Amino acid sequence: MRSVAHAMTTLAMLALCGLEAAHAQVRAKAEVSCRPAEKLQYDCIIKLANSRTSEPLSGLTLMVGADMPSMPAAHNVRPVKATEEQDKGTYRARIALEMYGDWALRLELSGAVRDRVVKLLRFESDRVGEATPTQAPGRHRH
Amino acid sequence: MDDYLIGVLSNIGVISFVALSAYLLLLTGEISFGQQGFFAIGAYAAGIATALWGWSLTTALVWGAAVSGSAALLVGVPTLRLHGLYFAIATLAFAEMVRILFELFRYQISIDGELIGPNGTDGFRNIRYIFDHNIDAFQFLLLIYSLLAATMLAFMLLERSRLGVIFRMIGQDETLAELQGIPVARYRVLAAGIAGMLAGIGGGLYAHLTTYVEPRIFDIMLGVHSLAYGLIGGLGTALGPLLGVLIDIGLLESIRALAGYRMIIFGGLVAMLLIVRPRGLLDEVVVHKIGRGWRRVALWVRRSGLKPRANNARATGGPP
Amino acid sequence: MIDLIQNTVDGVMIGSSYGLLALGFTLIFGVMRRLDLAYGPSIMIGGYFGTLLYLHYGAGPFAVAIAVVIGAVIAGIYVERLCFAPMKAGAAIASMVSSFAIWMQLEQAAILVLPRHTYPFPPLATAAPLEFGPFLVRVDHLIMLACALALAAAVHIALYRTRFGLALRAIIGNPVAAHLVGINVRTAVLLAFAGASAVGGAAGFLVLAVDQQVTPMFGMWATLKGLIAMMIGGLGSVPGAVVGGLLLGIVEANSQWYFGPQIRDLVAYVVLFAFLVVRPQGLLGSAPEPAMPPKA
Repeated sequence: MRSVAHAMTTLAMLALCGLEAAHAQVRAKAEVSCRPAEKLQYDCIIKLANSRTSEPLSGLTLMVGADMPSMPAAHNVRPVKATEEQDKGTYRARIALEMYGDWALRLELSGAVRDRVVKLLRFESDRVGEATPTQAPGRHRH
Repeated sequence: MDDYLIGVLSNIGVISFVALSAYLLLLTGEISFGQQGFFAIGAYAAGIATALWGWSLTTALVWGAAVSGSAALLVGVPTLRLHGLYFAIATLAFAEMVRILFELFRYQISIDGELIGPNGTDGFRNIRYIFDHNIDAFQFLLLIYSLLAATMLAFMLLERSRLGVIFRMIGQDETLAELQGIPVARYRVLAAGIAGMLAGIGGGLYAHLTTYVEPRIFDIMLGVHSLAYGLIGGLGTALGPLLGVLIDIGLLESIRALAGYRMIIFGGLVAMLLIVRPRGLLDEVVVHKIGRGWRRVALWVRRSGLKPRANNARATGGPP
Repeated sequence: MIDLIQNTVDGVMIGSSYGLLALGFTLIFGVMRRLDLAYGPSIMIGGYFGTLLYLHYGAGPFAVAIAVVIGAVIAGIYVERLCFAPMKAGAAIASMVSSFAIWMQLEQAAILVLPRHTYPFPPLATAAPLEFGPFLVRVDHLIMLACALALAAAVHIALYRTRFGLALRAIIGNPVAAHLVGINVRTAVLLAFAGASAVGGAAGFLVLAVDQQVTPMFGMWATLKGLIAMMIGGLGSVPGAVVGGLLLGIVEANSQWYFGPQIRDLVAYVVLFAFLVVRPQGLLGSAPEPAMPPKA
């Protein structure tokens, strides 16, 4: 039992130590606009650019996933691969969500640039807009 | 392994920490609706450590666990006199206070011309450690699971140790435990501290997994969920809460056709399950029976000589 | 000073609804010795019934109120049958977690039927606010206060002047003894649940009508406010529920005025925590010993 304990802790330590390689990365920024397509499905246009130089990022593999902030780790929307459009740095993807509400879109970039950008949007049945912090009932209007 | 599977498994791993945190307190007989508060503290502390102070992931996780553990001790002491429902609601109040405080908490530093740090209701973005250090999703998954495995091992050892017995004694009947000479208050605070640390580790991992946290994530839903996982999976063993997490995130996720109805089904299943098994699937009775069955098998194996012993002259019918 | 009084007046108004919510909660807790986490969501179901009626048939406030109460009662009975009736005596935690599971169920069911973020509710009154010197009092707030007081009085009469109320008080006092003297505890509990849900439904209607909208967050909000008010006033105490509600309302209204909505919520929790640490039985509650059965 003791030796197994030793082994496991060593493994954990190794895992932690092995992840220390430091590396500076190109950072990305994204503009996202989505339109409702079918029920709970949305067409999204994503523009990726270098966050420092604003130069469009082209030729990357972009996977779009989503999480619901109000229910962490509970929803697992299968990430979809986005296809690049004619315009350099513009990608399109269709995502299928589980319910209406606020979702944090997870844009995973890989290839020449490895990064992740998170965009919070409110997905409703007829439109997609900015996610505003929710107001509790009982606010008094004077 | 495809990214989706890695993602789901990572989520299961991280949430297991909070589930185990609530489970530990359940062992000592206390219901806590507030472990998500320590999850939040761990997440923010670890995130601030790597993103704002440039610490390494290891140190940040330890720091997160230390901060949340200390917070748990601070809460554990004034709530010592409380039991049952009163304790549960106190933990709920505390977790909500933590959440609201994070809604008001602003601590931003300018790094490379960009403002990084927790920003109230907007949350804490750009916890980019795994990107800045070239850690891919699979490696992080390994990290989560090696920490989880170490934790599970610790729980297994706990169940066999005096401390584990003490915890369960306190859970069964506190007065009796006190009469046996156990300083109940001290052990309750200890349990609270450990549980807080566990949730804090989970939080630190979560923050780095998703690179983005906001106060809304750490609401009551998370807290009651983590309690529910232990209760569904079973309170007889630390595998119980893991089973609960697996059933919710793992099983129900795979039934895509029911995507929009998941909570309705899950809710109904849980309600019906709890009618027939109020202490979960792997409750103490089941665990005991499995243990007994296992020992029987081991005995049979040894007796029938299938496992040859060094000086066994009666080895029959088994491989040489 | 004027602000303080104005806020206190407003606080008393909204506090009366908190008191009603707490009242329903306390009734359920009193007879069941268990916490019903699906309480707020079942009221929300009632609210969604009401808004459906309002949206599709343009019904007036009175009809909507009845719809809300009926919806809440139906949901409440569903919860009772599934989460509380079948549970054995000691399985208190299981009941609570079960009610949480049903909370999720009800919330998702509501969102599936009405997916938008907010739905309109008919207003109680559209007249301009009344003026009493430097103070402003909204007419719909007054109606809310009046209805809340009337309902609280009705519950009091039901509990203390009827045979059913007597049976309930007997069960609250000692369920086993009540059973032994021939009271049909199961039926009485079911009826108490229905009654508590009705009271909650009425409270919910009042709040929603003043707010003029219903959102999916309402369920959790109602449960929390009812819970906090109940704990401050005293677990299991009927007058405590009302007092706790009023106090909560006053504290919240003032906190919001001076410090904003987030501090308002924070203060509510701080007050709750402080009460629990210093005086768990609340203002008017009885024994400090938890009424919950030991370890489920």
